Amino acid sequence: MKLDNIRSDDNISELLKEDLNKGFRLLVEKYSSKLYWHIRRLVIIHEDADDALQNTFMNAWRSIDNFRSDSSLYTWLYSIATNEALTLINKRKRNAAVSINDLESYFANSQEGSTWFDGDEAQMKLQNAILKLPEKQRIVFNLKYYDEMTYEEMSKVLKTSEGALKASYHYAVKKIEKTIIKD
Amino acid sequence: MMQKLNDIPDKNPFKVPDNYFEEVNRKIISATSGFDKEVKVVSTSGRLRTYFLIAASVTGFILISYTAIKLFTTDKISPQVSEVQYNLNPDSYLNDIDVSSLEEKASSIVFSEERPEVSNKDIIEYLLLENIELNDIYEKL
Repeated sequence: MKLDNIRSDDNISELLKEDLNKGFRLLVEKYSSKLYWHIRRLVIIHEDADDALQNTFMNAWRSIDNFRSDSSLYTWLYSIATNEALTLINKRKRNAAVSINDLESYFANSQEGSTWFDGDEAQMKLQNAILKLPEKQRIVFNLKYYDEMTYEEMSKVLKTSEGALKASYHYAVKKIEKTIIKD
Repeated sequence: MMQKLNDIPDKNPFKVPDNYFEEVNRKIISATSGFDKEVKVVSTSGRLRTYFLIAASVTGFILISYTAIKLFTTDKISPQVSEVQYNLNPDSYLNDIDVSSLEEKASSIVFSEERPEVSNKDIIEYLLLENIELNDIYEKL
């Protein structure tokens, strides 16, 4: 799977040089879903994830000329998407009324309720446990657990050493399991 | 009773509206495809001239700064610079931190028996990922 991604990203990378619009369209079609879910797991609210996803691709479009072909499109896009999600979370923190610390409370108090959440009790517990992690550790956990990203790739996305990421994920799992058992 | 992460079925609990991805892809593509990026062609001699101008500006700035510092600072204000050099990525989370001084002190940090084998630098970066305050790190060292 990873090898196919690399070959395909190489093709897109070449196409971006020959026909920028066509190459970018392929990039959007290939990565919009992955990036959306990565963002959504961090920001929770669909509308916010939608905004952040579009901002991600607009930023990518604006800086496509600066993209170095010897680095990976995959990690480059994930890096932009992660920054967009963090920007949104930090903006939300400044407005305490919309801060999300617990899904059940959020669903109870929001207009959309649980319209865009389809999980059972176990999933609710898991998502709440993930929400309790420090935000950077949440990102590490999500990238490893849901996106199955390698530590090498994650290191490029988060500009942090593989050792620190391994430790962070290890303790994230411990914390989540402890929270789930307690609940 | 659920004890492990693996006990939880692998299912995405979040939903999106029907046809969401088709629509958002269309929006993104139409927002970008109408704008042709200008391809700037810079001749080699023009590029070289640009590089010379940049080099001259940087050199001039360095000379002026050095002269100003020499003229206006006294011997009492001479910070000792650590000899340890780090090549930090400009976007790194560590940019606001004096990593070299933290590393020197981190060697005495004691973790539980489950501590994975990582370097002191890795420990510090991990602590920062845990959003632990710098003051707390200093207190524990």
